[in-house]
Amino acid sequence: MRAVSNLKRKSIARTSLIRTLIFAALVLLVGAQFDAYNQAQLAVVLILFIGVLSITLLTGISGQLSLGQGALMAVGGYSTALLITNYTLSLWVAIPLSVISSAIAGLLLGVAAARLRGPYLAGTTLVIALAIPTIANRFMSVFKGDEGLQVDVGYPPQWFSSLFGEPTYEQWQLYVALPFAGVALFFASNILLSRTGRMWRSIRDNESAASLAGVNFSRQKIYVFVISSTFAGLSGALYGLRGLVGPSVYPVSLSLLLLTAAVLGGIRSITGAFIGTVIVVFLPDWIELILGNFGLSEQVSNFLPALISSLLLILTVVINPAGVAGARLHKHK
Amino acid sequence: MNTFLAALSLGTSRGAIFALVALGLVIVWRGAGIVNFAQMGQAMFSTYIASTLIANGYSYWVAFLAALLSGAALGALLDIFIMRPLSNKKQSELLSSESMRAAVPVIASLGILGALQALAGIIWAAEERGFPAPAKEEGFTVAGNVLPFTSFDVFVVSIVTLTLIVTTLFFTKTGIGLAMRATALNQEVAKLSGIRTNRTRTISWAISGAASSLAGLLITPTSNLSPNTLDLVLIVGFTAAVVGGLDSPVGAVLGGFILGMVISFVTFYDTPEDVFLAILAVLLAVLIIRPRGILGSKDARRV
Amino acid sequence: MNAVINLASLSRSPRKSIAVISVALAGALALTAMPAQGASTPGVSDTEIVLGMQLPQTGPASPGYNKVDDAMRAYFDYVNSKGGVYGRKITLVAKDDTYKAGLTVTSASALINKDKVFAMVGSIGTQTHISVIKDINRRGIPDLFVNSGYSGFYTDPKKYPTTFGALGTYVAEAKILGKYIKENLATKNVGILYQTDDFGRNTVEGLTTAGVTFTAKKTAATFIAGTQAGGLDAQMQQLKDNNVDVVIIGAVASAFATAVGSANKIGYKPQYIVISVGSDATTFQTILGSKGIAPAVSAGLLAGTISASHAPSPGEADDEFVKAFKKINDDFNKGPSKTWDNNVLQGMNIGYVTTAALMGAGKDLTREGIIKYIENNPLKLSSAALAPLGYSATTHEAFTGFWIGKYDATTVLKPIDGTRKVWTTDSAKGPVTELKYTRPAIAADALPKVG
Repeated sequence: MRAVSNLKRKSIARTSLIRTLIFAALVLLVGAQFDAYNQAQLAVVLILFIGVLSITLLTGISGQLSLGQGALMAVGGYSTALLITNYTLSLWVAIPLSVISSAIAGLLLGVAAARLRGPYLAGTTLVIALAIPTIANRFMSVFKGDEGLQVDVGYPPQWFSSLFGEPTYEQWQLYVALPFAGVALFFASNILLSRTGRMWRSIRDNESAASLAGVNFSRQKIYVFVISSTFAGLSGALYGLRGLVGPSVYPVSLSLLLLTAAVLGGIRSITGAFIGTVIVVFLPDWIELILGNFGLSEQVSNFLPALISSLLLILTVVINPAGVAGARLHKHK
Repeated sequence: MNTFLAALSLGTSRGAIFALVALGLVIVWRGAGIVNFAQMGQAMFSTYIASTLIANGYSYWVAFLAALLSGAALGALLDIFIMRPLSNKKQSELLSSESMRAAVPVIASLGILGALQALAGIIWAAEERGFPAPAKEEGFTVAGNVLPFTSFDVFVVSIVTLTLIVTTLFFTKTGIGLAMRATALNQEVAKLSGIRTNRTRTISWAISGAASSLAGLLITPTSNLSPNTLDLVLIVGFTAAVVGGLDSPVGAVLGGFILGMVISFVTFYDTPEDVFLAILAVLLAVLIIRPRGILGSKDARRV
Repeated sequence: MNAVINLASLSRSPRKSIAVISVALAGALALTAMPAQGASTPGVSDTEIVLGMQLPQTGPASPGYNKVDDAMRAYFDYVNSKGGVYGRKITLVAKDDTYKAGLTVTSASALINKDKVFAMVGSIGTQTHISVIKDINRRGIPDLFVNSGYSGFYTDPKKYPTTFGALGTYVAEAKILGKYIKENLATKNVGILYQTDDFGRNTVEGLTTAGVTFTAKKTAATFIAGTQAGGLDAQMQQLKDNNVDVVIIGAVASAFATAVGSANKIGYKPQYIVISVGSDATTFQTILGSKGIAPAVSAGLLAGTISASHAPSPGEADDEFVKAFKKINDDFNKGPSKTWDNNVLQGMNIGYVTTAALMGAGKDLTREGIIKYIENNPLKLSSAALAPLGYSATTHEAFTGFWIGKYDATTVLKPIDGTRKVWTTDSAKGPVTELKYTRPAIAADALPKVG
């Protein structure tokens, strides 16, 4: 039995690795065709994809609805920014380190939230998401209040430029985001295929049955929060590295954006998470493309993307709750 | 002493508004079994309609009535076109899990909130508008001190008390009210007992819509109107409903006043920056110590 | 049995797949390294100059500010109707960032890479601008006439060589007001209501340098920027209870109006002193007006309020710049709201100064060229402002002069001692001195003249 489960674990890892490599190759190939603006957008897709995965794991797989992922992103963002600014660490060191603080935040949140369900959890996490800017303003000496912490992805190291040529700033943003997105994808895939994933699904589907089967779901629920928070924190760190970590960078609308992406694309799968992220990131551009010729007033064009994505969300939930990718629910349920 | 009185009166007038919001949330919870996060979006929308009427010369009371009616109509429409298809949907495999069944209506209400805010922006732009009060906004003079309690605040508190009495009577004494409670508890059984669950649910949404537009009308004079101003009110209203007990109208009002006092005293005696943390602290405290809320019944946490 | 067989067969093909994919990856990586961009100046053609701008057009931070881009565009359209600059039409592309720094980065990328703007002009929003200023400067894109009083953008041109301001800094203005307070209101109990962001804090800093200090929770009341809509009752009550006679307002216009409303409720009528950014009569009257306070009454509430400005008051109907700009606004402004106020005046003025800079930089328009021209010729960029631009190699602060005024009964800000005196200072600890400056007259066609 031990031999089989070891083999199984290795094959799960292998499958995840293949998926990750294919993903990376595709991103690079597609990115090479893009102009600078779309390359920057693609980098945003990769960054938010990680955040959406946090919702896929938390809500899609284990059924807990949190509206506060933006707050967890802020934890990752501020940790990374503080490490870079105060200790002059490189982002390649600061980001992995800040994963620790995200995990701790997830632990705290999990402990508080494990007893909550449904709208109680949603409402509480929403309040937390709103409280974040005030914390940044309250402890201004550390978090620099409204000014925030100015950080960015910096320049590629010498060896990289000599090997591959000097990348543009947008390309470099892509190259920084990609490895982290790949790592996130790898771990998410692993979890989904593994026994842990099955346990989480059992919590989502039928708590009473799960507890009868011996799942310590209080502990698992906390564990989900910890894992999901590290994804959110990683996403938040990369998101802040686009230029600034500050209160206005992680508003409540960011939490809702991630949720929308997860639901539109398909809340239960990694593919769904990616599709959804692509939709929410590129939607304003697509709208501008189609309606740019209509000469719409500023008043209308500023609010149209939000209106359309909200309507899409409602339609998805009412007509096809499983989202775009959910139509073909195969290996992972 | 002055500060104490001022904090007390501000807490009361604000508390009344939060009570109204919490009441609206409780009504939908009892009538439809979900927490409607779009509630303040509906309030904002109805208040914009009222504001437009006033700008075009109609009297405050005409606009007031229009807001209530449009609030009720909007609530009913949202239920008929969005919530009803949602609750009748059994096909999707996604909805076979209990937690997803609870999460999906919340997500839908968030979508509604976003759509309403965007729509308001498109129709009325992002201009901040003021909104008049039907009563004077000058404080009463008591023992030589001018208190920050105005005749408008008296108006607000009386309306809230009136609404509370009406809703309690409605839920306990009328047939429809009882039907709503039954539907919320168990839709299948209610249907079997002959209750027209769809219609009852729509009525809950309509009533809640009217209540929330009332809240919007009452709070806007002291702040300003724009697509986002009522976001904070929703958060406090939600906390108030949880504190009081999500299925208790009296609890909702009690929770509203408690939150109003907490916020007021934190603002006066501590610093405004701590208000959100205070709200969070109260919320967490209640959820940990007494999850059903002060006046909630044992099965208030039925999810 | 089956499980074992499947697992075993799985072990061979993935290894090969991994090898194939890794090769593809390396190839793709090599493919994506593109050659450097060409050398032509983006945003400039024979017929057009494309300018970019970022501001909150919607959202809680937008009221008032969302008129500035329409006003700027109105002026540019006027210039275009007169033939443009050296035959080139000026196009302004404004993008809404709803005051969220994450969106500012994205819209900056769109302006730079999609619209290929020549320069950024008049951007609004301090925190949001912080998120993009480093990248803009690194690319050598001129970041002209930023609408923020945050001194951190302008006091170190080595850090931000392409960024130039359009407002005097909050610190400088606060110092000037502080001096006035020390000299004229020394016997009064002075307090302050400020928003806890850089705007409010810089105001406190400037006042402190001038010797005007406060005690937190007693004579200093605060609120979180953006939350004033919920009322400022607590803050005004606090100031009243501490017997504050003079209330300085370090906050935006909607907060000032709300504060006065709250104070009025409790019968509190102190002397108000408002930082220029927060003093706009039109906004004040609009917000109070829709609370049922008629314009005649709110004008009375505003009367006597002290404020400062670097430009003429929008209500000074006889000022030649105000007259000319108002006409252009009426004829050319296509925005949803073009009511004449401080925001529209500032927008027009920035349009005017930008045109002057484009003209001065010459027909052969380059990014380095215009930056050099602006830095070396601030006095040639005269405008409606009653103080000159203070650009030099050591600072990119804009108007370093303010005059102090008092609102009269008709909501016009009038010089406080009858004759207008302009004061100047730096954003550090330097003294406040009087500035003698004669503003060059506006040309008959309301266009700037080169040289």
